[in-house]
Parts: sequence; C-alpha cells; structure tokens
Amino acid sequence: MTRYGMLIDTTNCIGCYACRTACQRQNGLDATIDYIRYEERETGKFPYVGHETVPLQCMHCEDAPCVAVCPTGASYIDHETGTVRVDESKCIGCRYCMAACPYGVRVHNTVTGAVEKCKFCAAESFEGRAETCSCVEACVTGCRIFGDLDDPDGELSRAIAEKNALPIAGDRTKSKIFYVR
Amino acid sequence: MTYEPIWGSIIAWYLFLAGVGAGAFATSTFLSWRHPEATSMRKIGHVIAPVAVAVGLVLLMVDAEAGFHNPLRFVYLLGNFGSVMTWGVVFLGLFMVVSIAALVLDIMKRNVPRWLENVGAVLALCVAVYTGALLGVCNTFPLWNNALLPILFLVSALSTGAASVLCVSIVRHASEFNRVGVLKKFHFCLPVIELLLIASLLFITQSNSEAGMQSVLSLVSGEWAVWFWLGVMVIGLVAPTVLETWLLFFSSKEFETSRKAHWISFASDAGVLVGGFLLRFLIVSAAVPLTVVVPLL
Amino acid sequence: MSQSMTRRSFVKRGTGAAVAAAALGGGFVSFGDWSTAHADEAASAEVKQVHSLCNSCSSKCGFTAHVVTGRVRTMIGDAEHPYCDGTLCARGYGYADIAYSEDRLTNPLKRTDSGAFEAISWDDAIKEIAEKIKRIVEDDGPQALAMIQDPRPSGSYYTKRFMNALGSANVYTHGVACNMSKVSGTMQALGVGDFTSDVANANMVVFLGRSYADGIRPSSLHMLKEAHDRGVHLVMVDPRQNASCLYVDEWIPIRPGTDLAFILAMANVLVSEDTYDHDYIANYTEGFEDWAARLPEYTPEWAAKITGIPAETITRLAHELWEAAPAASIEQGWRASFGCSHKNSGETARALCLFNTLLGCWGAEGGAVFYPSVSAGKLEDPRFAAPPAPAEKIVGAKEFPLAAASMGVSTYALQQIEEGAVKGVIFYQSNCVGGYSNPKQLDEWVRKAELSVAIDVQMTETCAACQYVLPDTSYLERLEIPEFVGGKVPVVALRDRVLDKIHPETKPVDEIFSELGRACGVGQYFDFTVDELADAQLATVGLSLAQLQKEGIATFPEKAYKPAPKTTWGTPSKKVQFTSEACAKAGFTPSPTWVEPLVMPEEGQFRLIGGKQTIHTHTQTANIASLMAISEMYGLERPWINADVARELGIEDGDEVEISSDVFTGKTRIKVTERIEPTSIYLPSHYGRMIPEQHVSYGIGLSQMDFVPFHIEPGYGGTMAQETVVTVKKAGE
Repeated sequence: MTRYGMLIDTTNCIGCYACRTACQRQNGLDATIDYIRYEERETGKFPYVGHETVPLQCMHCEDAPCVAVCPTGASYIDHETGTVRVDESKCIGCRYCMAACPYGVRVHNTVTGAVEKCKFCAAESFEGRAETCSCVEACVTGCRIFGDLDDPDGELSRAIAEKNALPIAGDRTKSKIFYVR
Repeated sequence: MTYEPIWGSIIAWYLFLAGVGAGAFATSTFLSWRHPEATSMRKIGHVIAPVAVAVGLVLLMVDAEAGFHNPLRFVYLLGNFGSVMTWGVVFLGLFMVVSIAALVLDIMKRNVPRWLENVGAVLALCVAVYTGALLGVCNTFPLWNNALLPILFLVSALSTGAASVLCVSIVRHASEFNRVGVLKKFHFCLPVIELLLIASLLFITQSNSEAGMQSVLSLVSGEWAVWFWLGVMVIGLVAPTVLETWLLFFSSKEFETSRKAHWISFASDAGVLVGGFLLRFLIVSAAVPLTVVVPLL
Repeated sequence: MSQSMTRRSFVKRGTGAAVAAAALGGGFVSFGDWSTAHADEAASAEVKQVHSLCNSCSSKCGFTAHVVTGRVRTMIGDAEHPYCDGTLCARGYGYADIAYSEDRLTNPLKRTDSGAFEAISWDDAIKEIAEKIKRIVEDDGPQALAMIQDPRPSGSYYTKRFMNALGSANVYTHGVACNMSKVSGTMQALGVGDFTSDVANANMVVFLGRSYADGIRPSSLHMLKEAHDRGVHLVMVDPRQNASCLYVDEWIPIRPGTDLAFILAMANVLVSEDTYDHDYIANYTEGFEDWAARLPEYTPEWAAKITGIPAETITRLAHELWEAAPAASIEQGWRASFGCSHKNSGETARALCLFNTLLGCWGAEGGAVFYPSVSAGKLEDPRFAAPPAPAEKIVGAKEFPLAAASMGVSTYALQQIEEGAVKGVIFYQSNCVGGYSNPKQLDEWVRKAELSVAIDVQMTETCAACQYVLPDTSYLERLEIPEFVGGKVPVVALRDRVLDKIHPETKPVDEIFSELGRACGVGQYFDFTVDELADAQLATVGLSLAQLQKEGIATFPEKAYKPAPKTTWGTPSKKVQFTSEACAKAGFTPSPTWVEPLVMPEEGQFRLIGGKQTIHTHTQTANIASLMAISEMYGLERPWINADVARELGIEDGDEVEISSDVFTGKTRIKVTERIEPTSIYLPSHYGRMIPEQHVSYGIGLSQMDFVPFHIEPGYGGTMAQETVVTVKKAGE
C-alpha cells in the first residue's frame, strides 16, 4: 500500500508564496484559484515579536469530511495512493464539500463551476510536471517533504518522527499533512 | 484575509422553500385530521407543497453550476448514502412524488387516502429536518454544527408552511379560515418555540468557540444585526406572536372573524414567512468557520 | 536536456488574426483574437524543455521551462546558477504570465495631437523616431540624447552600442532607484561596487535593512538558512521585522535613515578600545588616522539618541563582531536601507566598508568576500567592433561626481529636459517615470522632451508619458546574448526562446535597435544577428550557441572561488581608502562622518519607508494577475503602522486611513502590527499603479514615490526614496 503524505515545517516558512505560484503554474490554474492558502499570526509585543506563516492545502484526510458529504461521489479516496481526489466529471458544484472541509482548502472554480483542490501532483501523471509536487520543488527554504507514509524508512516518515510533526488540527480527520511548528 | 461565505441567498431560498413546502403539506395533513371540513385549505396546502419544493430544487440546481452546465451529472446524486445531501435528494424526491400525487388526486376531485397523507407528512418532517441537518453536519461551523439547528428548521418549516396556507386561505377562503381554530392555536405556539430555540442556539454557539462567538456577534450586534433583530425577531417572531395573542385571546369573537382581523392575521403570517426566509439566510451567511490556526481577520 | 523544437503555427495564425483585426480597425490584436486562434492547439499536448533566464527581478535566475502546447508549465530553477541555486521564487513562477497578458502591447503606438495613442506601422515608427534622433544629434549634439534601460544582457549591449554609435555617452540604468549610493560609496572605499557577506561560513553577520527573504535571491536565502542551522549569530537591524527575521537571532529596530550613526558608533567602540585588525589597517589601507580622529564624538550614547537603539546594544554588537572577526561582517543594503534612500546613503555604504575593514574580514572565510566572474573575450570579427568611445562623459557626471558612471543619474538627465540640455529620451524596459523618483515630476519632464520613446511589453507610467511606444517581445519569446554571472562557481547562462512569438507585431530588443541604428545611419554597427553575436561571444570561452542552447548553463569550475585575504584594491592607492579625495571634493569629509538625513519626522510624523515584498519587484510585477491576487487576498498592499502608535491615533487594523506628505495625500486600508518601529510607516513599493491599461494593478493601494518629492542625493545621485515624512489619520476624521 502507498499512502502519500507531506511534512510542512512552518519554522522554516518565510511566507513567500512560492508554493502557491509554482502550483498554479504547474497545474495551469487561474490567478485566483489557490490550492494553497495561508494563515499568519503575530505573537508578542514590539520589539519582541514572533511571526508564523502556516500554508494549508488539502490534507488528504483518511476520514475526509468532504468525501463523507459529497452527494455524487465526485470526491473520493483513491485507495492506491491514499489521496483524496475529485472526479470533475461527477462534480455538480454544490460546494457541500467546501462547507464540510475543516481546513477551508477547497476552491470553487467559477468558470467550470466545479470544486478543485490540491491533488498531490506527484501522485498524478500529466505532461510537463516536476518530479515531485510543485510546492515541494518550489519551496525556497525546503520546508516541505513529500513521500509515502507507509514507507517507514522513507525520508518523510523519518522526518515526521525526528521532528515530532503533527497534523494541524490533531487527529480529527486523520489528515496526512504533518506540521512542524 | 477575510472569509467569504460558501453559500449565499440562493441556498437560503432553497432551504426556505423546502421548509415551506414541507410545512404546507404537514398543515394539510393536520387539517384533514383536526378540521376535515376545511377541504379548500387542505387543497391549498397540497398545491403549495410541490410548487415551493420544485422552485427550491430548481434554485439548487442553478446554484450547483457544474451540474447546471452538465445536467447529466445530477444522475450521480444518489452516489453516496453517507451524505446528508443524498438522503435529502431521496426525501425530496419521495416527497415530490407523494405531494404531486395528492395534488393530482385533488385536481381529479378524488379523495386523498389517509395513508398517503400520513406518508407525505412523515416525508415532510424528514425534508424539514434534512434542511437543518444539511448544515448541521458541517462541523467547521459552530453555528450549524449542533443538534438544535434541525429542530429549529423543523419548527420554522411547520410555522412558515402553515403561514403560507393561512395567507392564501385568507385571500381565497375566508370562511374556512375562521373555522380552523385548532390549527391557529398550534400555529400560534410555533414562533414562541422558535424564540426559545434561537435563544438556546445563540447561547450555546457563542460559548463553544471563538468562531461561534464571532458568528453570534455578527448576528446580534455586527454585520447582520439589523436584519436579525428587525427581520427575524420583530417581524418574524415577536410581532406575529403579539398580534395573534391579541386576536386569539383578547379580542371579541366578532372582531376575530371580521375582514379587518383577517388582514391583521395576513400581515402576521406574511411576517412569519419573511422571518422564516431571513432566519435561513442569516444562519447561512453569518456562520464563521473554525479556523485551524488563527482567527480570520 | 532534450529539445523538440517543433515549430507550431503560432506565428502564421497570429498573423492571420492580426490582419483580420487590422481590417476591422485600429490595428490592435486583441487577446481574444489570439486565444481564439489558438484554442484548438490544446487538443494535442506537445512538450518541450527550454532554458531561459527569469525576468521578474534583477537576479535573472536560470531555469528550465517545461512548455506544454505553447504554455509554460513547470519551471525548474538551475542547480548551478549562482543566484537561484536550484529554486526560483514566487515572482518567477508568476511573472511568466506576462507572455500571455491581455495587457500586452501588440503594435507600435504614437501619441496623436489629442493626447491618445494610435497604432502605427513599425516602418513609420522607426522612420519618424530616427528622423528626430538625427535632427537632435545634428542640432544639439549626441549628448542631448539619453537612454534609460534595465541592464540585461541584450538590452545593455544593444542600447549602449546604439548610443555610442551616435556618439552619446548617456546610457543610464535604474541604479538611482536601486543601489546607486551603495555601489558608489563602496567604490570610494574599496574601488569595487559590490561584496558579499560569506554568511554561511561566518561567525556573525549584521544585516542593515537587507532582507534576503523579501528581495529574494534564492541562493542568498539558502545561505541564510544554512547559517541559521549552523548557529551563526545573525542580527537584523531594520525598522521593520522583515521576512528574513525568521532566521536571525535578534531583530534590532532602528529609525530609518540612521544606519550611518549606528556604524559610526560601532566603529567608535572598536577604535576607542583598540580592538581592530591593526595589521590589515597598517598594510592595506590608507587614511585610517583621519577617521580615528573623527570618531570620538560618535559614542554609542550619541548614536542611541539618533537610532533609537540602546547604547549597550550598540556596544555589545561591536564587541560581538570583533570577537567573531574575521569571520564577521556587516552585509550591504539595497533600496530599502541605503541603496538610494537617504541623503547619507552613499556615506553609509562607505562607512560600512570601513567598519568591515576594522574587522579584517575582506576575503576571509566567513568574512566579506568577492566572488569571481568570467566574461566574454574580445571578438575578432570586425562586424562586432565597438563604436568609438564618446568624447564626453555621461550627463550628470560633473554634478554628481561620486555616482557610478556605469549607472548614471538618470533622474538628473530627465531634469535636464527642463533645462534644455537633453532633448530626446529613450526608455528600454524601464518604468522610470513610475518609480525612479516623483512620478508626477518625471512625467512632466518626459512630456516636454522633443523625442520620447518607450519600449516595453505593457503600458506603463513611462510609456504613457512618451510620444512613441514600441512593443517588446516578452522575455520568454526571445534569445538574448549570453549572461555571464559571478559566483562561487561562475557561469554563463542563456535566455533562449521558450515560446514562439505570441504577438506578430512585437520585436525583440536586438531587432529594434538594429533597425533604429540602420535608420539613423549607423547600420555598420548592427550588421549581425543576435544568434551570431551570442555564438561569437561564447566561442571566446570555448562554447557555442548550439551547445549552450542544449545545456542552458555552463560552469567555469576552474575559476571557482577560493577564500584568500584580499590585499589589493581597485582604488587610486590600491588600498582600502579611509579617506577619499573625491568625497572631500564633493563636499563630504575625507573620511565618513555623520550626515543628517534630509528630513526627520517630528512628533506626529513618520518616515515613509519602502521595500520589496516576497511576491513583487517594485512596479514591474504589479500587473501580474497571479501575484496581485495574493496581494489582494492577504491585504499586502496595506501600509504598516506600529500597534502602539495606531492605538494612540485610534486606528484599528484594516481601517481606511489618509496618509499625507508635502506633495501627496492618499487613502488606503492599513495594517496594524508589532513588527515595525514607531517612527516609520512601511509602504511596499509595488502598488498605486495608475495606468488603466494595466487591468490587474490599476488603482490598488498607494505608490510610495508619489509621496516623495523630486530630489537627488548630493554627490552620489541616489533618488533618496525615503526622504519624506508623512502624517497618518483615520479617513474621514
């Protein structure tokens, strides 16, 4: 079994948005279609201030609320890769999945009417893509690791263990992106 | 970054119309049980039910753009019985069949069998509860994700459904309207129950999270405060309750059956309908999602 | 790298659409026409990989573009390129949109008497422009012409060649609005304009307003992260907690415009305590005693009052730097600090170099270093022979004697239009009017010129002020001459044709200036194609164009950097110059002393500071939809104000505020933050574009330079981008 996942180390994220624009370029997305969004926070008081940027994208949850609510089965879990996918040919654009997603990372494409999101592009095959996910390829400070969670000796699994990376919102949806914060 | 609501007024209309249709059918069933003589009013309910729900469904399909442009995709709507929406499609579909059957029987001037009315009433309750559960399972939104919402929407559906039947009967069948006292008394209770449910919903929601607090604040003192207090609370609930209290308990029998009183009732029921729509619109619009990391700006 | 250069029917079909559009009127090819003409091409996916150089900022990182059916998809940064070191930045991925922008210029335009532009043919445009150039050269001499350009391989070559062929020395870059003061001040001390802190190998580095993570050059950012991971003591001295602060140990907020006081006080500490590299000072420098004699008044206590940095902190940092030396340095700053920002920017750069000299860090591993570069050798083919050197110096050289002649004071050249000394001006890929100094003032002068020409890919403030606008190809559609880049391992990299020409009536820079040259009677200097020139240049370093087109980038490992103390300098004395005769002549003290900024905020006022954000490069990227979408979604156009100050002013985050300087008042939403010191308002320098033809950027936010009056840094020629004070109040109050 393959269970693709990712690690994002926000302690190294400078908030440069390169992952977003690289993703848009590789996936041929319009300017306003963002598979990656960001939450930011400031802590402390001048001049002792901290700042954190947290990139968020489809977490490819095992208990995916979007899949649970999708009335047409357009959102589904691909069992070969463990990724959550959207079959656009089934999507009616009701946006129920967007309401159900706890991470707010699904995007309504106003042109097609359908809902889109991060595909974990390294798990897909299409012409002209980078060897790994575009966000991983693009990250200037190397915050991201993509890999197979079922490979205990892989770089991803080792990094998760080493850095004690955790899903962003606890175990509520069994998400497969692990954060170092 | 600011939060843009996922759904807008079209979905609010859909939720409202599905509730009105369900409530109207339930009102007809109630009438055939307690006021069998009010046949015209019963038929009014049977007309309103499929028409309101059908209009609502058309709105839903228009809002689901990808499906609207590729109608064949609606075939997949029964694709996932884990989804509340799929169950909604089932309930709405069956309800449409039953309510259209009742309407056809009415038009053919044949009796609607009691079992059919009962089945329809049960489906109506399912539809009404579904409109609340649809939102309720989205656990990102504290304003939606609680057990009170389906009950609130159920009560509101019954209230707005009855109000729609009463409004039409005031215009078309005033004499029957005068004779349905039990229905009116039931109908009178509903806004009071709604008031309690809304108060409970807001109290509980504001206490459960920052997002819940923000949702409630936007209703009671923020962006939506005027709509909430004037539209939902005053026009939709308090004014009808006050007017009906006066008509039912403090005015003379003669006045209650006068045309003047009818128009007061009409105004009060129209208020219930306005309030019923705004309630859904505000619940849809004011819900702020729990965010994973930081409260949104 | 595999290449399948299958030529598709872009050009042919594009021409068809152009003819159709021209027949319908106007002569413009709309984006609609173009996309309709190519809609069917999506059907068969065709993939090729081409190497190019990014154009979204001055770094020009190398990358390989995966082109799928005429669209740039994945872009992979060169591992070997010294500036990108394997990754690009957000700008780079986004800026590729420019090729397909609906706002592209698609025809030569000429301003009519009514003030509007009308399309004209290339033949007419070249003929009319050449006639005017010839008339100006004849009547007023070649020095009455000025060329302002963004210095990139083909652009630098062709614009200079064209001007020199006409006999004019007036070739300017964007330097005055970028790094003029820094380069010129450094020149006075060291005889070179640039050095780099060897951050990754250092013990300690102090950054003065330089943020690797905002004006991203990916390799610098990699180095910063490496240093952080290694435990290098990194200190950021900046009015604003910039994005690099993620990696530094301490953020020291400083009042903008006072970096010089901070440096002088640290020098005071080292010299008064006799803790500096005596050997280096004795053997490789000149004039130290002069500076040592001037420093005593610049105590940390004195500097504390000016900079807002506690005296103990200044003393401590000086001690720590000395302890860390020679693997320690202060890194140089660009526009956001002292590249071109204040009346004292040039002297700040000079003092910084001298402070680093005290540390004895030049060339030391972990100190401040100079990376090697390679350049093309002499070309034997007579076609490539350079025109004779112009008889006179660049206009402005006399008035701003310290300004680096390689950049020139372009804003002064425009001012000379008013004085009648400059009659004609040509802009290549330069939005000078939009951001080099006060836009209103520059616009006024450009409009008064007898001839004004702008060559660009989209309508800009500069184009709008000119009589002629010539449509450039985008950087993705042209081959340029090879770019030699210095670095640990120097390289040569190629900007190749990634896309076929999208709009048939656009032309690359080499064609435009070759045609203009021929029309102006100096065609003998342009008797070759860019391919031939590129091939000839590459031949001098043992490469060929075909080879570089295949490889994209070539390295010169034999020239790789090796740490070694630097002991000879390019100054007149061949030593580090603590004293400079040129500076003394220009009105400064022989060795640097405190120079008061032109303006200082009083109670209730703020200094308006600028600086890049990670997703934009000044005005250049503002009209890119995918980048501006980020600004809009996250409110990045908002100026920053200190949270305590905002509270006092009754301003809350997101409030609409009114910001006023002597020359401009504007309204915008504001960001209330703890990440800025209380006397500054930070306005990112990308917004407030007012060109309606730029459909994305138009009207979003405010422009920093609108608030800044026209002025030029004495001696050095910088634009003094931060010499303005503003007041802030809640809008409507």
